[in-house]
Amino acid sequence: MCLLAIIILAGGCSKNNEETKDTEYPVIDLSVADAFPQQCGTVKRGQTFTFRARVTDNAELGSVSVDIHHNFDHHSHSTEVQTCQMGAVKTPVNPLLLIKSISIPTGLKTYNVVQSIDVPANADAGDYHFLIRLVDKAGWQTIKGISIKVE
Amino acid sequence: MPQGKFNLLFLKKQTAFCCGRYVQSVYCLLCATAILFILLVLATTNVSAQQNVIKGRVSSHHGHPLSGVVVSLAGYGTQAMTDSTGSFKLPVSQQVNYTVTASHVGYKTQSKTVSYTGGSKSVTFILHPLNHELEEVHIQDNRALNRKQSESMNVEVVGKDFIQRNLGGSLMTTLSRLPGVKTIGIGSGQSKPLIRGLGFNRVVVTDKGIKHEGQQWGADHGLELDQFAASEVEILKGAASFIYGSDAIAGVIDVKPSLPPMPGTFGGSVDLIGKTNNSLYGTSVNVYGRKKNWFFDSRLTYQNYGDYKVPTDTVYVYDFKARLPNRYLRNTAGRESGLHFNTGYIGEHFRSTIYLSNVYSRSGFFANAHGLEPRQVDTLLHDQSRRDIQMPYQEVNHFKLINRSQYHTGKHLLQADIGYQRNFRQEFSIYVNHGFMPPIYPTTLNIPQNLEREFDKQVYSINARDVLQLNRHQLTFGFNAEHQDNQINGWSFLVPAFKQTTSGIFIYDKFALSETVLLHGALRYDYGRLQTFHYSDWFPSEGEFVTRANAFTRSFNSIVWSAGINYTPEGNFSLKANLGKSFRMPIAKELAANGVNYHYFSYEQGNQGLNAEQSYQADVTLGWNTNKWQIQLSPFYNYFPNYIYLNPTGRHDILYGAGNQVFNYSQSRVMRYGGELQVKYRVNNWLSAEALGEYLYAEQLSGEKKGFTLPFSPPPSLLLNVTYQPVQIKALKDAYLSVDYRLTAAQNNTVPPERETQGYRVMNIQAGTKVNFYNRPLMLSLQVQNVFDTRYLNHTSFYRLIQLPEAGRNIILSAKIPFGR
Repeated sequence: MCLLAIIILAGGCSKNNEETKDTEYPVIDLSVADAFPQQCGTVKRGQTFTFRARVTDNAELGSVSVDIHHNFDHHSHSTEVQTCQMGAVKTPVNPLLLIKSISIPTGLKTYNVVQSIDVPANADAGDYHFLIRLVDKAGWQTIKGISIKVE
Repeated sequence: MPQGKFNLLFLKKQTAFCCGRYVQSVYCLLCATAILFILLVLATTNVSAQQNVIKGRVSSHHGHPLSGVVVSLAGYGTQAMTDSTGSFKLPVSQQVNYTVTASHVGYKTQSKTVSYTGGSKSVTFILHPLNHELEEVHIQDNRALNRKQSESMNVEVVGKDFIQRNLGGSLMTTLSRLPGVKTIGIGSGQSKPLIRGLGFNRVVVTDKGIKHEGQQWGADHGLELDQFAASEVEILKGAASFIYGSDAIAGVIDVKPSLPPMPGTFGGSVDLIGKTNNSLYGTSVNVYGRKKNWFFDSRLTYQNYGDYKVPTDTVYVYDFKARLPNRYLRNTAGRESGLHFNTGYIGEHFRSTIYLSNVYSRSGFFANAHGLEPRQVDTLLHDQSRRDIQMPYQEVNHFKLINRSQYHTGKHLLQADIGYQRNFRQEFSIYVNHGFMPPIYPTTLNIPQNLEREFDKQVYSINARDVLQLNRHQLTFGFNAEHQDNQINGWSFLVPAFKQTTSGIFIYDKFALSETVLLHGALRYDYGRLQTFHYSDWFPSEGEFVTRANAFTRSFNSIVWSAGINYTPEGNFSLKANLGKSFRMPIAKELAANGVNYHYFSYEQGNQGLNAEQSYQADVTLGWNTNKWQIQLSPFYNYFPNYIYLNPTGRHDILYGAGNQVFNYSQSRVMRYGGELQVKYRVNNWLSAEALGEYLYAEQLSGEKKGFTLPFSPPPSLLLNVTYQPVQIKALKDAYLSVDYRLTAAQNNTVPPERETQGYRVMNIQAGTKVNFYNRPLMLSLQVQNVFDTRYLNHTSFYRLIQLPEAGRNIILSAKIPFGR
């Protein structure tokens, strides 16, 4: 039976060639020119804005998802150092809620996200979170949460 | 800059690789040695000349061989002593009727008449304890030793003393001092065992003979066990499915209740405990009594603790900075209670015990990390008191009613365990509209607004077996069956309601080939059926009430086996080897999860097509024992053709996953190897030193994460210990002062979504003694955990993902005050 163990083990040994495995997180870059929105940025009701960001990965990008939800309860999960001036805590009536996935063509290491987003005229004005989630093909996820205002 | 980083990475990989190969070659060498020994043994055992002897074996009522038993021929003055396999040989000369008597400390003396007609004649003894109270430590030690010598798998047995000395936040944390045992923990009171890096539903925990069924799959759930009620814990590392069925892939943790008291006694004890780190105070009161045959044993435990303290004032929850005033982790306080009542009858041949218990706990979740979106953290409310439990919190109640009976007649020992348990778990938090949930909680919904999740599990179990002594064979055969009914509630969804029935039959033969060789062989068949129920969301996602679970039924069956050997020659050396196949039925979560786990920002997607997981494992345990040295090396190799793995993908899902990353259950080939080394050196009768090391390597050989390790793989670690026992001071009985220094290496081998963990060194101190208190031994123990208040991250902690360090310095004082006759 130990013989069997050795055979299995040998099988394991020969496989142990450490293929290049991806151990790095993808990067969301909002510092590129015309990236939008920025921390403490503002979007207008009844208008369309364009979400622009550069995403990169050492191996291969997966997908991007955007989540806009209200922060009327001040549940700060902003990942940014800079804090923004926030309105008073309030009860939502018709808050803007948007969850959108942006597909990235396969095989890319760098991609410029350009996505237009409508802000309905009847949405509640106030503080919102703009959450960007980026995954690479290996499954590493980077989250960036920024605070924005809807006016 | 990136160049340098790459070089470093490459270097790291190189070392990991070399190290892996080194361990493998050591392992190959060990295996070769093992084969050599087996051949040697087989060669020598054939030569056994016909002698005029009465020979046989002596075992305990549990079926374990008893060594050191004096076997004598009445009226002839001939005596022999049994060896480690329980075997003896008595030379005889006349063909008459002999009275053979077996006597052993702590057991009832037994005599048998043997009519001797020449050649070699066999006789078997099964000894019963004189009284079943084995409180005396040395008898327990013997039993533990016997257990280790008669089991071909790797077994560790720890008693009440070990638990008292190393008392942690929960029974599992206490056990994590043992090499190869780690825990996945959350907070200061909840944790689950990991055996050699495998946990959750890959480890079986049995309590009073019945498999403990809670919500083992959840990383933030603990085990509902009262560590004061455990008298002995047996840890079996290896492929144990052949006795325990599905799930016992990595091993078994068998928690045993206290033994029935001695006849004509009435007494008890009061345990008092206090901890500085989380300001815990607690007590456990035990009262027992026994007339002749009837006994009772009861216990009441209560513990109350506040928020625990960590050596940091700021944590980053997914990059969000959270301040910790005075370094207390807000809202991690808790309460625990345990109620136990056992009663039963002990007769000559028959005994039966009823165990009734209820374990309850209520504990807060670290407010900043619950649901990762740290909403609703009200620092004014959460920081007003260290002892209050605000939302989010969990409440768990585990009720058990178990009957264990056995009947002993002739060569048969019939045993039956019947159990009912109900695990009722609720998680409360202020409603947060995750994903497409409405911003305001609808008043029309009949789910309480703060009830995030509820799991209500009812389990009926039965085990029956017959242990049969046939000359050199000890044959055990039996069956297990279990039925589960699981209901869910709450405004969040992860796993649907389900019913599950599992059953299995097994046969296990332990064969004493010779005085030094014990062979084991086992075969088992299992059948299981799982039926899930339909679930639809209570809120629309993009206009649609999505169906998250369809009703479906899956059935599984499996044949598992095990083969092993114990070789215990005269002298210092001993060897054990075991090869076995284990299996695990996919759990409801793996088959039917379809919701967002906001602890990880993950959308978990079950897979109805999963096969039952299979595992092959080879284990070797080499021992070397002298008066001064105790060395044990236990390497293992494990292969899974279809390990079930929650795979983080490169995709997001909108409709079902509310924009979160998709994690889907998939199966891949996995190999794991590693081992433990235990070295104990007794310098003299008052000083000893110990080193406990462990190493584990895991790799996925196929699938999307090929080349990556498995999640929660503990890094290598070494525990160094020095123990001083002042035997010369007569006033202090069983006194000890012991220092543990644990060195843990960095874990750089990770798989998404895990981060690398740095190495660390932590020191613990234990001290204690027994003092005379109204002619009874009062036991005092003191522990200082994390002496230097070291800030470190534990790779297997649930809070590791949010970079939360482990608890800071903790001083634990406990006393056990006995009373009664």
